[in-house]
Amino acid sequence: MGNFSYLMDGFSTIITGHHILIMIIGVMLGILVGVLPGLGAPNGVSLLLPLTFTMDPISAIILLSCMYWGALFGGSTTSILFNIPGEPSSVATTFDGYPMAKNGQATRALTLAFMSAGIGALAGVIMITLLSTWVAGFALQFSSPEFFAVYFLAFASFIGMSGNAPAKTLVTMMLGFAFATVGMDTISGGLRLTFGIPDLIKGVSFLVAVMGLFGIGELLLTTEEGLRFDGIKARVRIVDVLNALKEMPRYSWSILRSTVIGIWMGITPAGPTAASFMSYGLARRFARDKSQFGKGDPRGIVSPETADHSAGTAALLPMLALGVPGSATAAVMMGGLMIWGLTPGPMLFIDRPDFVWGLIASMYLGNVVAVVLVLATVPIYASILRVPFSIVGPVIVAIIFSGAYQIANSTFDMWLVLGFGILGYLFKKLDYPIAPLVLAMVLGDKAEDAFRQSMLMSNGSLSIFWSNPLVTGIMVLGLLMLLWPVFANAVGVHNLRRRAARHSAKV
Amino acid sequence: MAELQKGYVSRKTMEIVTTLLTGGVGIAICIESWRSGVGWNETGPEPGYFPFIVGSLVILGSAVTLLRTLFFYNHEGEIFLDIERAKPVLGFFLPIVAFIVISLLLGLYVGTALYILGSMKWQGGYRWWVSACAALAVSALFYLVFEVGFQVPLLKGPIEGWLGIY
Repeated sequence: MGNFSYLMDGFSTIITGHHILIMIIGVMLGILVGVLPGLGAPNGVSLLLPLTFTMDPISAIILLSCMYWGALFGGSTTSILFNIPGEPSSVATTFDGYPMAKNGQATRALTLAFMSAGIGALAGVIMITLLSTWVAGFALQFSSPEFFAVYFLAFASFIGMSGNAPAKTLVTMMLGFAFATVGMDTISGGLRLTFGIPDLIKGVSFLVAVMGLFGIGELLLTTEEGLRFDGIKARVRIVDVLNALKEMPRYSWSILRSTVIGIWMGITPAGPTAASFMSYGLARRFARDKSQFGKGDPRGIVSPETADHSAGTAALLPMLALGVPGSATAAVMMGGLMIWGLTPGPMLFIDRPDFVWGLIASMYLGNVVAVVLVLATVPIYASILRVPFSIVGPVIVAIIFSGAYQIANSTFDMWLVLGFGILGYLFKKLDYPIAPLVLAMVLGDKAEDAFRQSMLMSNGSLSIFWSNPLVTGIMVLGLLMLLWPVFANAVGVHNLRRRAARHSAKV
Repeated sequence: MAELQKGYVSRKTMEIVTTLLTGGVGIAICIESWRSGVGWNETGPEPGYFPFIVGSLVILGSAVTLLRTLFFYNHEGEIFLDIERAKPVLGFFLPIVAFIVISLLLGLYVGTALYILGSMKWQGGYRWWVSACAALAVSALFYLVFEVGFQVPLLKGPIEGWLGIY
């Protein structure tokens, strides 16, 4: 049976009133967390996760993934109307989106952004539909050394490809691994890194880390910057929407280029933020008339939005097929899958095809639902941002701590969230990347198991990672990624990344 | 330090403090995993084997960052935080600490209500009855969403007991 008929099966699973209602709820909540400061996609998904433990896995993943799409759209909304990126990945949209909205063309800017985002997302899903079984089938040949090599590749490309200092990426990533090992050792049953504190025996949940690092850390930064929301009134008029739709074909070349960039950066763990900056940079470089960039050039909206969303969806391919998430939010979702007893990776395609293809089908439908809903509800969400921070801030804090308590009914976790919040504030201000920490926390146990099993197979010799062409190939690719900055400096690509990192650091 | 008397902390100081902090954590990880055994026994690598490597890499990364900060620093003169900006941050942070302490004593619903009441009253400058209504509304909403909707219990204190909400 081909992928197409699997997909049709997936559609027949999800097209029910119940699932579509869940989709709508997910998208609405997603837009909300995307719009609110301090509540991004990773944090929103973390907060919702404990509430989904009682749901069936398909409904739960639809809810969480739709929240992700909604958050991506919500981030673009605030970028355009308020010049405040709701998500780091929508920073590049502020460069031209806000000026265009300021010129009285808010509806045009929003429509262009949402439509190109929708196209980017759909392109990402089509890529997943076409490639996922192939990648999963390929990964079926993997045993422990190959899996460790894939993890190595993922983490090496984080160090090599991110715009942050490689040593800082190494520190946060390894701290993530250390947090993952706290508590009971899965193989020997012994306790590790508990420092004699009884509360640490159950381990440190990655959800606690995400809530602190992304939630509280972000809020502390927001208060420091003393946000003032000078929004532009948005009234969505149908005529303006139709006019903007008519001009979309003019940007097909920008959209195509951005889709390719986005899909590539989404599959490799560079993520949506890097993709949107790179796409914006290239759109500018290739434009014949650069004078309008920064003043509301439509290409400056279309390019980063397409890349952002195609990277966001493409990040789910390595998560589903290999068990290696391509972004922080994908990592949180993967952690959720593991809590529900589903192990992402090639076996998931064989054991639970209904789940995998239900999810993929929901990605098509969810993104279409998201485009329509976000256009229809922009004025409502824009008015939420006008509620003063002295109300919104404390409510978000209370939600975060209630969520933290629910993970394990533990009051100790609440203090941990506070600690991670301070850490997140410190790391963000000093340009330490946070996504690698979350990824390492989710993957820590699996990476360690793969490593230990490989070591058992070879009696402790590292040569097992060079023992056959497949594992050697992946390891060499990983080493190349690790040394990427050296090559990139030679060809001058690196400056672009640096610029991207500097901008995103301000968020 | 001279910086503190002038009312600010430079980014360089904080970079150094952070590398010392992460380096210290790295050392702690290494010591703690050393105690669970970092070698091999008949079943393979001992529990501390992997964390020990992780801890060593944390130390390595911190050391490189420290050296880069000391010798190749490219954020010269940047300020990490000054008094003007520290005030709102502390004004937001300290109430969170109070919120946690109160919630541990009285439960999350009462804690949330008091926290929102306090923040709106003293930071937002709202009248007390507006703040009180908002606080009660948020707590009630939490109850409906968590306890009734998703059936996950939140931490409760003595007051819910008196009211008979269990």
